[in-house]
Amino acid sequence: MQSWRRIRSLWLALSASWLLLVLLGGFSLLRLALPPRPRPGAPQGWPRWLDAELLQSFSQAGELPEDAASPQAPHGGSCDWGACFDTSKCRGDGLKVFVYPASGPISETHHRILASIEGSRFHTFSPAGACLLLLLSLDAQTGECSSMPLQWNRGRNHLVLRLHPAPCPKTFQLGQAMVAEASPTVDSFRPGFDVALPFLPEAHPLRGGAPGQLQQHSPQPGIALLALEEERGGWRTADTGSSACPWDARCEQDPGPGQTQRRETLPNATFCLISGHRPEAASRFLQALQAGCIPVLLSPRWELPFSEVIDWTKAAVVADERLPLQVLAALQEMSPARVLALRQQTQFLWDAYFSSVEKVIHTTLEVIQDRIFGTSAHPSLLWNSPPGALLALSTFSTSPQDFPFYHLQQGSRPEGRFSALIWVGPPGQPPLKLIQAVAGSQHCAQILVLWSNERPLPSSWPETAMPLTVIDGHRKVSDRFFPYSTIRTDAVLSLDARSSLSTSEVDFAFVVWQSFPERMVGFLTSSHFWDEAHGGWGYTAERTNEFSMVLTTAAFYHRYYHTLFTHSLPKALRTLADEAPTCVDVLMNFLVAAVTKLPPIKVPYGKQRQEAAPLASGGPGPRSKPQAPAPDCVNQIAAAFGHMPLLSSRLRLDPVLFKDPVSVQRKKYRSLEKP
Amino acid sequence: MCASVKYNIRGPALIPRMKTKHRIYYITLFSIVLLGLIATGMFQFWPHSIESSNDWNVEKRSVRDVPVVRLPADSPIPERGDLSCRMHTCFDVYRCGFNPKNKIKVYIYALKKYVDDFGVPVSNTISREYNELLTAISDSDYYTDDINRACLFVPSIDVLNQNTLRIKETAQALAQLSRWDRGTNHLLFNMLPGGPPDYNTALDVPRDRALLAGGGFSTWTYRQGYDVSIPVYSPLSAEVDLPEKGPGPRRYFLISSQVGLHPEYREDLEALQVKHGESVLVLDKCTNLSEGGLSIRKRCHKHQVFDYPQVLQEATFCVVLRGARLGQAILSDVLQAGCVPVVIADSYILPFSEVLDWKRASVVVPEEKMSDMYSILQSIPQRQIEEMQRQARWFWEAYFQSIKAIALATLQIINDRIYPYAAISYEEWNDPPAVKWGSVSNPLFLPLIPPQSQGFTAIVLTYDRVESLFRVITEVSKVPSLSKLLVVWNNQNKNPPEDSLWPKIRVPLKVVRTAENKLSNRFFPYDEIETEAVLAIDDDIIMLTSDELQFGYEVWREFPDRLVGYPGRLHLWDHEMNKWKYESEWTNEVSMVLTGAAFYHKYFNYLYTYKMPGDIKNWVDAHMNCEDIAMNFLVANVTGKAVIKVTPRKKFKCPECTAIDGLSLDQTHMVERSECINKFASVFGTMPLKVVEHRADPVLYKDDFPEKLKSFPNIGSL
Repeated sequence: MQSWRRIRSLWLALSASWLLLVLLGGFSLLRLALPPRPRPGAPQGWPRWLDAELLQSFSQAGELPEDAASPQAPHGGSCDWGACFDTSKCRGDGLKVFVYPASGPISETHHRILASIEGSRFHTFSPAGACLLLLLSLDAQTGECSSMPLQWNRGRNHLVLRLHPAPCPKTFQLGQAMVAEASPTVDSFRPGFDVALPFLPEAHPLRGGAPGQLQQHSPQPGIALLALEEERGGWRTADTGSSACPWDARCEQDPGPGQTQRRETLPNATFCLISGHRPEAASRFLQALQAGCIPVLLSPRWELPFSEVIDWTKAAVVADERLPLQVLAALQEMSPARVLALRQQTQFLWDAYFSSVEKVIHTTLEVIQDRIFGTSAHPSLLWNSPPGALLALSTFSTSPQDFPFYHLQQGSRPEGRFSALIWVGPPGQPPLKLIQAVAGSQHCAQILVLWSNERPLPSSWPETAMPLTVIDGHRKVSDRFFPYSTIRTDAVLSLDARSSLSTSEVDFAFVVWQSFPERMVGFLTSSHFWDEAHGGWGYTAERTNEFSMVLTTAAFYHRYYHTLFTHSLPKALRTLADEAPTCVDVLMNFLVAAVTKLPPIKVPYGKQRQEAAPLASGGPGPRSKPQAPAPDCVNQIAAAFGHMPLLSSRLRLDPVLFKDPVSVQRKKYRSLEKP
Repeated sequence: MCASVKYNIRGPALIPRMKTKHRIYYITLFSIVLLGLIATGMFQFWPHSIESSNDWNVEKRSVRDVPVVRLPADSPIPERGDLSCRMHTCFDVYRCGFNPKNKIKVYIYALKKYVDDFGVPVSNTISREYNELLTAISDSDYYTDDINRACLFVPSIDVLNQNTLRIKETAQALAQLSRWDRGTNHLLFNMLPGGPPDYNTALDVPRDRALLAGGGFSTWTYRQGYDVSIPVYSPLSAEVDLPEKGPGPRRYFLISSQVGLHPEYREDLEALQVKHGESVLVLDKCTNLSEGGLSIRKRCHKHQVFDYPQVLQEATFCVVLRGARLGQAILSDVLQAGCVPVVIADSYILPFSEVLDWKRASVVVPEEKMSDMYSILQSIPQRQIEEMQRQARWFWEAYFQSIKAIALATLQIINDRIYPYAAISYEEWNDPPAVKWGSVSNPLFLPLIPPQSQGFTAIVLTYDRVESLFRVITEVSKVPSLSKLLVVWNNQNKNPPEDSLWPKIRVPLKVVRTAENKLSNRFFPYDEIETEAVLAIDDDIIMLTSDELQFGYEVWREFPDRLVGYPGRLHLWDHEMNKWKYESEWTNEVSMVLTGAAFYHKYFNYLYTYKMPGDIKNWVDAHMNCEDIAMNFLVANVTGKAVIKVTPRKKFKCPECTAIDGLSLDQTHMVERSECINKFASVFGTMPLKVVEHRADPVLYKDDFPEKLKSFPNIGSL
């Protein structure tokens, strides 16, 4: 009995343990007990070999010597940059371009393109000194093709530029020449050697060009998602909600209500679908860019323009035409952030590289120069973010932080010091008071005096703690914006000897400039306006509620603008500035506005009421003829730029407590408020 | 196990008076229970030992046990590679189908051993590296074991090194793969292509339409946008641990460490050494070393012996000259050492050149310019060199250092071609982590002044102060550029007043009722907002004049990517408490504006609602405070820019506490606001707010000028 009870209690304990066992460890035990077979459905994967450690390496050390064979470069049938371009001719000045003069009568476009290349900094008149020989082959309408030029030399170091893809019967073999043509097919295009151009319509403006159509950053609410091309060169918007395949011809047999909208010459939608082959697709591509409509390219068989340097993934969607549903879904689900970025990039690219024939040609030359420059070429960032590589010269620097435009992307900030550049024109009084005021600024690093008048250099200069350098100028007004190597800081305070500023004005203006290093920060302003009566631009230095220019006789700006002024402006414009000194202000403002697409910044100027006259009387010109040529020079410069880049601002940046009803002791820039 | 044995022995003593049959039965049972308990215990203590090991899913077998496949001598051979292949012609994208994750699926064929009619193997079964490569693919998100769902097929036939292959038979082996179909969607990896004497720059095995990830492409063989150029893996990457060396000048300016260079090249290099002396070092293999085994890791110059690859870290630039093959494994060693490679290999397609920007990490010198190399390198500014050194090391870490890195980068490139709208950007491929962290990409980067005609939408957040709300509506409606007014009714217990009671204004007025009384409702991206400019205004801000609001809008147009507001605030570092402090006194600086009255771009509403980092949004809703500080943080963080404060200081009636009734601007309030700043700074991981000393006024503000000629005369009156 006892044993039975014992057995029963034992049995109970055992059952309890079993239960526990089943609950806790049953499953694990089962897995332990079963052989390690893969569970169905789970990925089986590549096996872990037992002898993986024993496997041999794919390359044995002994193979190295065998690897050394003759220095005979592998060679294929066609050309690449290394094989067919002789860079030794380009040593020294970089890219120098000779353009073959046209034989016989030429069209107006041809003539103007020639003129625009001749005006550029790349041009040379001697074929011997040139490193690139340019052959224009663009008279599509006359049907005339160029004949073999003299210095052809099997096409070596030649670029054949075909702006319009009118097939010119090949009168001679291209040989080793590079070809720059509109939307080449991917099969004939030689990457890194040929240049892909955009497909320009016949009436494309030569210079300046129409600005992008984008009025706002984000798409308007309710705007169509997708625009489709129409056969007769227009666009229509597609209703993507109902139709599964809105661009498929089969679906269009039954157009739902509202599927077809009115035709437009420029698309008005978030995305523009571009399918089909060149040249139609390529010309639509450019339209979409201009309209700020994100191009969706379906399996393009043509090379996108300047694909060597432009990162098109930032501005367009290239998709496979075989997966239409997937593309549509991807467009519908694209994040607002991506749409926003793509939209803005289309506009930037249009304005930077495509809006005029001149820009297209200069971009082509810049691409080739970058190949020659190698390591000192434009970094990708300079090509693909505003203001673009045509306006960010790689000859200035290849480090983005040296430019005023990329501090955000680089996580850097402009330097905390400035150089004062004082221009001393006639009558040539050493600006002692001004030097004292500027030297008093805690941010000043050096003072440069640009002596530009007939009087001899004074032998003694005021004692300051600040390093003072005197440059003997060439008596030319455009000297004021020469990139002197002695300027060692990012910021330049450009001054005229007759300017009058206080130390706190300088200090505050510089602190403001640090927030806007790409803009000009000035004290005195002027405006441009459209003069209906004369049918041209007018200029006024009157005090108004808005302004579009600051006078460079007292203004902060980045020293990069000196380089840009001297090296990128056409010679004709700089000559204009030398001949009419008041124009130099206007010219500099045009240049900065064309780069930044923003107005300059005005800061308060205390002495405005009393002494406005000498500063405002315009430019460093002689006192005897103040301000006369200014209105005309606005028109001349605008014509040379091809458009009016100036923008108006209605605000002034003041210190936070400026003229607030609070104790002066609390204010940092209190002397700004002294009457 | 020992324990159970012990119990086994003690078993009989516990149950002495049982029949032997029973006893054995119970003992067995008991032991099993004990065993089970012990096993369970083991699982409890090491619960991950089983889950984490892949051994449960993957067979453990020997490479020698794989099935043997006999290839008849007359089995078909694929066509030679088609040079005109592109993704849209030779690649079957339908196999990749619709994939919500935008990831291609990759299938790996099972390993087989191929023999010819005589039983002679076609090649070595598999190399260590190819095994690693397939393992890496198998472990990645790309892998599928379902051949029917696969978009890309990777044969297990190892063609990394052409030297070990019998070309024709390997091709036959490829052709008999079950889904070969002319090689469509098949991916081959090859690092050492060609063979003597002419060394083709691509794999000689006929492969028809198969994609080739090749380690030595030239411009003649590389099919742009179809093939992938990959590095030649250096086994030293795994063997040698070279710690990262900071950029900066190094002992040698230029070093050449390759052995087996063609004599002509070596002469050129030695001429450089003679010309430039100490700064150039040309190394060769060591002839006087007794031990042959270590010679791979040694280099000699005359009688001086150097450790390789450590010596590369002593140089700023390292020569990577092509041999018979264009792709050289030394490129990987050079990058690992943070030395800037000087690539001298005409027509060579650098590894991953489709996505990597080699200009940032290397110098390419044409072969005919070898003698000018020194002067070319010397013309590079020091800052750029340091940038390149950093970049070189980063490329190695990200894309060269292991077979796995190489395999995954290759698949990513193919994936990006198939799902281009989900592709990785240039910056993600190329920017080192430090740059990625420091850089800001402003979402509204295009310089653009929106047209004035667009106007703005005013959003008034209100709870139940109807009288004050109506006054605000009346005041705001006087602003010329107002295009719509949106009232966000945040009170769920009370209905908004009837339509007839609302002030009659010239623009559309909409009332939105919210589901919950949350502060974040003010920043919701309502469909009703049609303009880009939004004016957030509290229901008690009645002191702003029409001129002030209109001017605020004009200022926003010039700064559309910033917060443009009226009352400004500042954050300060409290040195005593060692934390941030909120400041609302009359200061000379501004870093925030209150959103009780502020203009901003409506995109920031989207960001606030859907992209606010961490738990800030919920935290703000729970605390009913600091939504404005959160907005200031958010905008400053994405744009990297400061706020713009407009017009002089006004007597705002406790603007901070409008959202919380009854709470006055007292000490507790300031403490709370300070806490918000500290909380947000820790969530953002940085202090994004920017401090400025300026505010925006009309051009002629307080100037000695006739008031009636000023555009905005009624500004700044208290």
